[in-house]
Amino acid sequence: MIKLEHIEVTFGTFKALQDINIDIQEGEFFTFLGPSGCGKTTTLRTITGFISPSNGTVSVRGKDITNTPIEKRNIGMVFQSYALFPTMTVYENIAFGLQVKKMNKEEIRKKVIEMGRKVDLSEDQLKKKVSELSGGQQQRVAIARALATNPEIICLDEPLSNLDAKLRVQLRNELKDLQKRFGITTVYVTHDQEEALTLSDRIAVFNKGVIEQIGRPDEIYSHSATEFVCNFIGDINRLGEAFLVGTGADKAGVDTSKHCYIRLERMHVNEHMANDTLKTEAVVEDYEFYGLYIKYTVRALGQTVKVVEKNSGKPLYQKGDTVTLSYNPADIMQYEG
Amino acid sequence: MKEKKISFTPEKLWSIAVFAFFAWFIFSFLLFPNLNTIVSVFYQDGHFTTEVFTKLINSEKAMRSLRNSLILAPSLSLTVGFVGISLVLITEYFDIKGANILRLGYMTTLIYGGIILVSGYKFIYGKTGILTSLFVKIFPNFPIDWFEGYWAVLFVMTFACTSNHMIFLRNAMRSVDFQTVEAAQNMGASQFRILTRVVFPVLTPSLMAVTILTFITGLSATSAPLLVGGRDFQTITPMILTFANNISSRPLAALLALFLGVATILLLTIMIQIEKRGHYMSISKVKTTIVKQKIRNPVLNVLAHVYAYFLFLIYVVPVSLVVLFSFTDSATIASKKLTLSSFTLQNYIAIFQKASSYKPFMVSICYSAIAASIAAVIVLVACRILQKRKDRLSGAMEYGLLIPWLLPTTLMALGLITTYNTPRPWMLNKVLTGTSIIMLIGYVIIKIPFTLRMTKAAFFSLDDSLEDAARNMGAKPFYTFMRVQLPIILPTVLAIFALNFNGLLGDYDMSVFMYHPLNKPLGVYIKSLTDSETNADNAALTFVYAVLMMIISAIVMYLVYGRGNKIDKSKD
Repeated sequence: MIKLEHIEVTFGTFKALQDINIDIQEGEFFTFLGPSGCGKTTTLRTITGFISPSNGTVSVRGKDITNTPIEKRNIGMVFQSYALFPTMTVYENIAFGLQVKKMNKEEIRKKVIEMGRKVDLSEDQLKKKVSELSGGQQQRVAIARALATNPEIICLDEPLSNLDAKLRVQLRNELKDLQKRFGITTVYVTHDQEEALTLSDRIAVFNKGVIEQIGRPDEIYSHSATEFVCNFIGDINRLGEAFLVGTGADKAGVDTSKHCYIRLERMHVNEHMANDTLKTEAVVEDYEFYGLYIKYTVRALGQTVKVVEKNSGKPLYQKGDTVTLSYNPADIMQYEG
Repeated sequence: MKEKKISFTPEKLWSIAVFAFFAWFIFSFLLFPNLNTIVSVFYQDGHFTTEVFTKLINSEKAMRSLRNSLILAPSLSLTVGFVGISLVLITEYFDIKGANILRLGYMTTLIYGGIILVSGYKFIYGKTGILTSLFVKIFPNFPIDWFEGYWAVLFVMTFACTSNHMIFLRNAMRSVDFQTVEAAQNMGASQFRILTRVVFPVLTPSLMAVTILTFITGLSATSAPLLVGGRDFQTITPMILTFANNISSRPLAALLALFLGVATILLLTIMIQIEKRGHYMSISKVKTTIVKQKIRNPVLNVLAHVYAYFLFLIYVVPVSLVVLFSFTDSATIASKKLTLSSFTLQNYIAIFQKASSYKPFMVSICYSAIAASIAAVIVLVACRILQKRKDRLSGAMEYGLLIPWLLPTTLMALGLITTYNTPRPWMLNKVLTGTSIIMLIGYVIIKIPFTLRMTKAAFFSLDDSLEDAARNMGAKPFYTFMRVQLPIILPTVLAIFALNFNGLLGDYDMSVFMYHPLNKPLGVYIKSLTDSETNADNAALTFVYAVLMMIISAIVMYLVYGRGNKIDKSKD
C-alpha cells in the first residue's frame, strides 16, 4: 500500500536517509525501530510530507505522492507530544480537521461523537479541555483527531515515549486494540524494542540512515540479519573463541573466527534441554531476581556469560555454586567481523 | 539554456509587502532619525565640523550636566545596590517578622514610579513639604530648600530604582537551591560565610545586570533632577531638553544625546557579555526552596528589624500621604493639618467634571492604548516571520527592531523631532514634528524591543508539532495562526499590552519632546502642576492622578503577575 523507493534525505551535507526501500501492506501495523538519530522519524515525516526527499519516491496504492502537499495526502498523524490544541476542548480538537474541510456543523457533530465513541470518550469528556484529561485519554483524543478525517493511513511518532513505564504498557495495549478496531494501515515510530516487538506485524530496524533489516518481530529477534540488529534487539551474549572451542562449538559447525552471539534465554544452567548438545561447567558469579525469571551471571572457560531462567520455584543457585551450562549451537548467530 | 520563470503567487506578494513595510518602518523610525542625529552633530551647513565639541567644552551648563550625570550614575548604582540587596535579603532570605507586609511596602515602586513618585517625595520633603514644615517649626532657621540638589536626587532615585531588584534579584534569590545552604551549614560554615560564599555567587549575574541597568538609569535621569535637582544639579537629559528647545543649540542637544547613546550601548554590551558568561544553573536533582534564616546574633537581629521597618516607612509614607491627601480639600493640602472635616471626594469629582483635568488623562489613555496595540500587532507579524524564516533578512529585521533597546529615549525622541521637522519623501513629504502623530510613533518604537523579546519567547515556546498537526489536517498557515497559535500566546500578548499601556500612561521622558500643545499627556501635565508647588489645587490634582494611576498599575500588575502566580501555584 505504501511504497518507499530509493528514498534519500539530506540536511545540508548530512545524509539523514540513504536508499530507503519499504513496502507496507494494507492494514499492516508497521514499525520503524532504531536508536536516536537513526532516521526513523525522518522517514515517517517523508511519508506524511513534512520532509521532501532529495531522491526517491513515496507512493500510496501505486500513486506517486512525493510532491503532494501535506494536506492532500490523506494521512493522519499522532505526534510524540500528541500536539493537542490546548486552548480548545476535546470536541474542538477532533472537529478541527473536519472544520478545515468545511463540513457542515451537523455532520461534524455526528462525526465527532462517533469518533469519541470509538475511542471510548463520553460526550461529557468531549466538552472538557484537553488539559483536564489523563495521559491515556489524551492519547485517545489524538488518535480520534487523526482518524476523524478518514485517512487511509495513520502515522504515530513515538506516542508513548513521554509516559511512565506502567502507563506505557497500558496504552500500548489500548493502541493495539484501537488499530485492530479501525483496521487502518499504521506506521509507528519507536526506539523501544519491546514496544516494537509486541505491537508490530512487521518491523524495519534503522541505523545511521539505512535499514538494517525488515521482518516479523520473531524473525528480527531470532534471526537478526546484521550484528547491529542482533545487539540492538534484546540482551545478548557475545561468545569468545576460547569459550566456543572449549564447548566444542567449532566441531558443531560454528565458525569461531566470526562474531558469535547467543540470546540469554537460549543458554541454560542445570537444565537438560533436548537440543542442548554443547555443555560446560560454570561457576555462578551473581544473580538478579526479577520474579518471573532469574538472570544468572556465570563464568565458564574464562568468559562471563548471562543466562535467563524461568522462575519455576526451585531454590536459586548461590554465588560460587558450580552448575552445568548448556546450549544449542544452532542458536548461535554469526556475523562477519 | 532554460530560462527561470519568476512567478508571483499571492503568498510571495504578501511576503514582499510585509518585508517592504518592515524595511520602511525600521529605516524611517529606528535607523534614519538616529543617523540623522549623528550627522547633525558633525555636519553643519554642508561641512564636516567638530565645532560642537568646542561649544560643549565652552558651555558651563552642559559640562556641569555631564559631570553631574557622571557623579550620579555610579553613586546611584552603589546606593540602589545596597538598598536593593537588603530588600531582597529582608524579604526572601532572613527571617524578619512581618516580611509579607514589608514586601508589599517595598514593592510600591512597581505601581508608583516616575514623575508621580518624585512629586510624592516633593510633597513630603519639598520647600512646603510636611516634613520640611515640621522641621521649620522645631528649628526656625532650618533651610526650606534642604531637599534640593545632588543628595535629594540621589535619595529619591535610590528608592525609586529598586523595582528591578524586587523583580530580577528576588527571582534569582528564589533560584538558590536551599540544599546548598544546608550543605554549607553541615560543613560548619557561619551565616556570613554562607551568605558571601554560597548565596551571593548565585545572585552575582543578576546583580551585575541590575547594577548596569541602574547605571544607565542614573545617566539618563530626567524627572528627579528636573523636580528636585534645583539649579545646581541638572543632569544630561534635562539639559538636552533645554538645548533642544532652541534651534541654535540643537547640535549641542544632539551631541549630549549621542553621548548618552554611546554610553548606553557600551554598558549594554558589557551586560550582554555578563549574560553570555552564563547564569548559575542548579544541578540539584531535587531542588528545594529557601527556608528563611534566623539571624542568630540577637543584637544584629534587632538592628535588622529596625532597618527593615525604617526602609518600609521611607517607601510607604509618601504613597500613603499622597492617597490620604487626595481625599482632602485644598486648604488642608496647603496647611497639612488633617481633621475629620478635611476629607472630601471633591478632588475626584472635579477631575471627571473639568475638561482641563480629565483631558490629559484621556489623552494618555488613548495614546497608550493605541501605541501598545500597534506595537503588539507589528511584533506579532515580526515574530511569525522570525519563527518561519531563519535567514539573514529576518535576522536583520530583528536587529533593526531592537535598536531602541540600545538607545536612550532622549536620543530617539530628539532624532525623530529633528528628522521629521522637514518633509521627507518616504513620509509622503509630510512634516511630522509638531503633529499629534509623532508622539504616537515615539510611544510605539520605544515599546517595540520589550514587546519583541517577550512575544518572541512566547512564540518560540510553542510546540512546533501543533502547527504540523494543523497542517496535517489541511489548515492553511493563516488559519493555523489564528485558530491554533494566537489563542495560545494571547495571554502573553495581552500581558505585554497591559505592561506597555501601563508604562506609557505616565511617560514623561518621550512625551516632553514630542507632545502636541493641544494634547498634553499626563506625565507632562503632572510635571507642570508640580512646578508650582505652592498651589494646593494643583497638588490635589496631582494626588488624584497619582492614585488613579496607582489603581491602574495595580490592576495591570495583578492581571499580569498576580493571576499568573495563582495559576502556577494551583498547578503545583
